[in-house]
Amino acid sequence: MIEQETLSKILEHGITKGADFAEVFVEDSLTSSFNLIDQKIDQIQSSNSFGIGIRLLYGDEAYYGYSSDPDEANLIKLTGNLSESGHAGSSESLRPLQQQPIEDIHHVAVNPESVSGRERVDLLRKFDENTRSQSEAIQQVNANMHEKQRKVLIANSEGLLVEDSRDYARMRLSAIAEKGDGPQSAAESPGVLGGYEFFREIDVEKISREAAESALLMADAGYIEGGTMPVVLGNGFGGVIFHEACGHPLETEAIRKNASPFCGKLGERVAQPVLTAIDDGTLSQRWGSLNIDDEGLPSKRTVLIENGVLKSYLSDRIGAKQVEMERTGSARRESYKFAPVSRMRNTFIDNGKDSFDDMIASVDFGLFAKKMGGGSVNPATGEFNFAVQEGYAIRKGKIAEPVRGATLIGKGFEVLPRISMIGNDLELAAGMCGASSGWVPTTVGQPSLKIDSILVGGR
Amino acid sequence: MDFQQASKEVLSIAKKIGLKNVDALVERTEELEVQIRDGKVEKVEQSTSLGLGVRVLNEGRSGFASTEKLDQQTIERALLKARSNSDFQDPVEIFMPEAESVQVDERKLELYHEDLNQLNVEDLSRMGLETEAAARETDPRLTAIPYLGVSKNISERMLVSTHGVEHSERSNQIGAYCGTLLEEGERRKSGFEFWSQRKWDPEAGRRLGIRAVEKASELLRATSIESRKMPVVLDEYCSPRLLSMYFRGFYGEAAQKGTSRLKGRLNEEIAVTGLTLLDDPHLPGGGASRTLDDEGIPTKPIKLIDSGIFSHFLYHVESGAKEGLSSSGHASRNYDSGISTTTHNLVIETGEHSLEGLCSIPEECLLVTQLDGAAGCNPISGDISIGVQGFLYKNGQRVQPVDSVTIAGNFFDLLLNIRGFGDRYQPNLSSRFIPALLVEGFSISG
Repeated sequence: MIEQETLSKILEHGITKGADFAEVFVEDSLTSSFNLIDQKIDQIQSSNSFGIGIRLLYGDEAYYGYSSDPDEANLIKLTGNLSESGHAGSSESLRPLQQQPIEDIHHVAVNPESVSGRERVDLLRKFDENTRSQSEAIQQVNANMHEKQRKVLIANSEGLLVEDSRDYARMRLSAIAEKGDGPQSAAESPGVLGGYEFFREIDVEKISREAAESALLMADAGYIEGGTMPVVLGNGFGGVIFHEACGHPLETEAIRKNASPFCGKLGERVAQPVLTAIDDGTLSQRWGSLNIDDEGLPSKRTVLIENGVLKSYLSDRIGAKQVEMERTGSARRESYKFAPVSRMRNTFIDNGKDSFDDMIASVDFGLFAKKMGGGSVNPATGEFNFAVQEGYAIRKGKIAEPVRGATLIGKGFEVLPRISMIGNDLELAAGMCGASSGWVPTTVGQPSLKIDSILVGGR
Repeated sequence: MDFQQASKEVLSIAKKIGLKNVDALVERTEELEVQIRDGKVEKVEQSTSLGLGVRVLNEGRSGFASTEKLDQQTIERALLKARSNSDFQDPVEIFMPEAESVQVDERKLELYHEDLNQLNVEDLSRMGLETEAAARETDPRLTAIPYLGVSKNISERMLVSTHGVEHSERSNQIGAYCGTLLEEGERRKSGFEFWSQRKWDPEAGRRLGIRAVEKASELLRATSIESRKMPVVLDEYCSPRLLSMYFRGFYGEAAQKGTSRLKGRLNEEIAVTGLTLLDDPHLPGGGASRTLDDEGIPTKPIKLIDSGIFSHFLYHVESGAKEGLSSSGHASRNYDSGISTTTHNLVIETGEHSLEGLCSIPEECLLVTQLDGAAGCNPISGDISIGVQGFLYKNGQRVQPVDSVTIAGNFFDLLLNIRGFGDRYQPNLSSRFIPALLVEGFSISG
């Protein structure tokens, strides 16, 4: 993507100007998006993103710049501009670049470039037909195929030179149902780190049925009466709550700024002993997996909470140094336009031993949040909010009528100890996570679980 | 290849390879950001990004492609890719717009101020350090300032087409943000404040730092309140944020695709008679002021709601063509995206009430000063369900800070339940000129 000699010159320029550490990140990505709505192929878009990000560290200070112009003189000038802003530190010697092999644990069986546009269009139409065939009340279907081939190169002043290729494939299907009380939408969005084989193996019938059923149920649903109550969270995307409410505050990006309720709590009990939570970047073909992180470190499996005790944070280079821990291979960025910071990969609550039926049976009145929508958190305070995409009232130990318009709000560190039952039906689900280094693919996940009390917003 | 060359090159290559209906958007952005922590510069980011996006129209079929590599070979490849993408789109009866003359002097929109270009890392750092110092002096309960940055950017865009459109625009702005954390015993609360303008204000940093602490301090002892129906006052920061989640219901393409509850409701009463919602692309200093939209169509002011009556949908060329209408000048695109609809500056006239005055109208109300997340707000159904923080008022008196509550209702009911308008807009650079609103009928859960 860029000459090794140019990389060496950039790194040398940064170090001789006094930086402690210099790093170059080069990216060349191809993205394609096919979109169907209103039974028509709506927009087809192809993008080529290319650029170079340069980072210089002076002690705890970071200087980052990027450009999409690969001209050597331009990049040296950019490095010089960054250096001039920095304060001279104790520069260490520059090590010569040495290409390092990576263990490629994710395989692409079908190269997206070998597949015709016609095949993609036919698949989108199949999703549309299957979803509409579920009911005449399905008023609209939006089906989108998103593919990305991301080639990255990382070189740094410690002699690291490593390249990786990351292929992503994701389907998003949204159904809108209307039964006289306004349109209600529901979406399914599976995705993998992999090639076009994902689309050839996808279960069109199942995904179409699930999106349609969810929208149809919500079109019939009434509103839940709000208040504090027990909530059973469904497996899979229900894990978005742990991701937002606990995952973000466990990133060293929050810890190093003393902006997390989990600061200084390593080794302490933060949840009931039934709960173990893991962030694992090594799971094969998973949407949030990586061969190497965006600082070039091999991805890892990190146990965050083990039997209720806080075991580890997620760290990048700067975070690991400031929090005084090992790097966990968690440095990530959306593109060359962002400096890397510690981020989640595939984050999930591990299987427990409780049965789903026992959880429901233990609730006199509460909410079964079968499918979650999105949400967000303030990592500093742990305050979170989530939308329930598909919910049901629980009455006298049984799942009762469907309810819509519910939101869950609370504080992560307060809710975590209230998780009292955990099932053994762990599922993972793909999502996009936004933070200071942009939007990155992450997986959330959990088995079904019960939270003893949480505020449910309703009417 | 620079910005100007790229826009010329794309038309010349299109001609060479026989493409007759092409438009292209070239964008160049320069950014500088400084982040501050513990009395020091922690991070400096400087960048230049350049990208080119092309649309090829082929017998009513559109295809898009973009690239950030700007050389002849890559631009040609993008054009060919857009051409092949167009093969699969279902056709619509549309034509590439011809160039139209611009009636408004762009300089009057005040999008660009030369003095911002003179500001360097030291100037931005100084503002950031002053922000931090002011924050630290304001309240001893401050334990961290996890977010503090100052940034400026210049954006240049050029739209060209094989049908004679050649339009460039340039804008710049400066902004700063400060997020604080205050602690008192087990209580933690953060306050987030930002400032953005097109003009430099050396005093802005101090005010920003103080306000970011005050916001956390005011809510540090907040508690929940019992669930009930209660009037809500959305302050002048929250009302534009909340309403903006639902404005896509006014897009013609949303109605065509069944994702707008306004479909079929033109000329019906959808809001209180005191409400007129104007889309004004020509407001001097407006955050979204434009003379032409992103398809080269001249923009003009349009009332979406006129004294409570729903009066206009917004269109780009393709969505207009589907109903036999012309574009209303509301096409939006980035170099790496397709065409979609946008609003420009949305304006609701101010009323006569101060914020305190609005809170004195009902016997009891919740003043909302912070919205937490947006995931429970559904732009299609209009449902609103969102965590909020603020203050409980009784008989015009502030009686307690409130958190851990949600408000729930529906956007289309909200428009009919507005009982009062505030007398000012929030002061930052914005495309939303919407005052504080007193609204009845919300359900509060706590």
